[in-house]
Amino acid sequence: MSTVVNVEEKLFQNRYKVDHGRPHIAIKKPEICANDCQSQQCTYVCPAACYKAEGNGSVTLITDGCLECGSCRVICTEHTNVAWEYPRGGHGILFKFG
Amino acid sequence: MAEKFDAIVVGAGPSGNAATYTLAKAGLKVLQIERGEYPGSKNVQGAILYSDALEKIIPDFRDDAPLERHIIEQRMWMLDERSFVGTHFRSDDYNKPPYNRYTIIRAQFDKWFSSKVREAGALLICETTVEQLLMDDNKVVGVRCDRMGGDVFADVVILADGVNSTLARKAGFHGELQPKNVALAVKEILFMPEETIQARFNIGEEEGVVIEMMGSVTEGMVGTGFLYTNKDSLTIGVGCLLSDFKANPKKTTPYALLEKLKKHPSIAPLIEGGEMKEYCAHLIPEGGYNAVPKLFGDGWMIAGDSAGFVNAAHREGSNLAMTSGRLAAETVIAAKAAGKEMNAKTLAAYKAALDGSFVMKDLKKYRHLPDVLETSPQFFTTYPELVTRAAQTLFTVDGIDKSTKQREIMGSFKSARKLTGLVGDAFKLWRATR
Repeated sequence: MSTVVNVEEKLFQNRYKVDHGRPHIAIKKPEICANDCQSQQCTYVCPAACYKAEGNGSVTLITDGCLECGSCRVICTEHTNVAWEYPRGGHGILFKFG
Repeated sequence: MAEKFDAIVVGAGPSGNAATYTLAKAGLKVLQIERGEYPGSKNVQGAILYSDALEKIIPDFRDDAPLERHIIEQRMWMLDERSFVGTHFRSDDYNKPPYNRYTIIRAQFDKWFSSKVREAGALLICETTVEQLLMDDNKVVGVRCDRMGGDVFADVVILADGVNSTLARKAGFHGELQPKNVALAVKEILFMPEETIQARFNIGEEEGVVIEMMGSVTEGMVGTGFLYTNKDSLTIGVGCLLSDFKANPKKTTPYALLEKLKKHPSIAPLIEGGEMKEYCAHLIPEGGYNAVPKLFGDGWMIAGDSAGFVNAAHREGSNLAMTSGRLAAETVIAAKAAGKEMNAKTLAAYKAALDGSFVMKDLKKYRHLPDVLETSPQFFTTYPELVTRAAQTLFTVDGIDKSTKQREIMGSFKSARKLTGLVGDAFKLWRATR
């Protein structure tokens, strides 16, 4: 796609109660993303752009904008490198409309 | 809390609320646990409410449920980059109460449904995530929560915890979702005055339109776009199989796909000026009959999205969810009345009830469809493009005679799919939907 879409502008409209210091999703072994995963699909499939492909080949994850869909876990079929839990009760995305 | 309940229901979406309501109405002692701040705050749907499934639970729901618009017109569009060919079905019969279906806003609707659940006598605890099921000798005996000091016990646990189905997965009742069996959908809600919506969609007050779209908007991926009219907002979204998002060589993001849909020349004028107030994403279980997991065991049953109860062909899900939740509850009520233990043998009645209902009958009817669509992207790319081009060829007046135009159209179909391909595609569709 040629058009660059700023997903942060979309996420800005959403309401979140971030559980500071307790991300509910983690990359199990970052070195697997950097060394073994060619496709790094999470970096373009995540609808909230939580996963970023860094210049040095690694993948970083910031869960603050997470929409809790589960896609990152389901697509990581080759390496199952995503540890995925729901946020603690009351935390995470709070849909106003859903 | 050392208290023991007749039943625990995990989740306050359509299936969880249907189950809890039915159990509480029958006088059972039931605890419902929801991880969101309030019921609905974690839930995402298009959203269309089909009246029948809810009527069977709350017959007079129309009295006070927050309903947006009843649907009087269904549009199905096939798009290429610049045009669409559509079939519209509009009937004044859909304008006579009791209405068949409505657009709803889930956060509001789920809150309302939950108020009915509590009125019926159930205990609801929000802001509490269930971490795992408690087992005793392979029987589910309760749940472990991340709050209120931990463990709660019940004779039976109904899992209505949504598409990710974390609890059954952790307990080993079924495996991980496969990317080809789920669609990732993203959507936005765009606010604008009621009168604007009514003028743009040619509808009166409280009347609604739904548009389903296939074609270039999904860039060759298996999926559809949708546009629904709410009272003073529109919902626009697009969903494709997760396996296709993953394999798309263009690496298109879901939000870029949504932006492209919003900019389509046939859609942009309908949504122009809408104020975007929320962006959502959600997985939809579309694996159908063959992807339905084990539905019950000793001390547990599974309902709604967590059981994969979505009829993708007809865009139905919440009605299957409510019906399965109700049937799970009725199974418990009957077992309790008969003084039976809540073991797998007793709870097999749930599966039998599902098999006898439209839930499993419809899933079974379309059991070949997911495989056919997954391996036949031409239905989502080639055909919409052929049809829109054919329409343009036929309807453009340019001095070329109609017979020549018809030959050109026939030629375009044959060169795109060959005669064997056309016949094969027709057979595939027939087999998948018969």
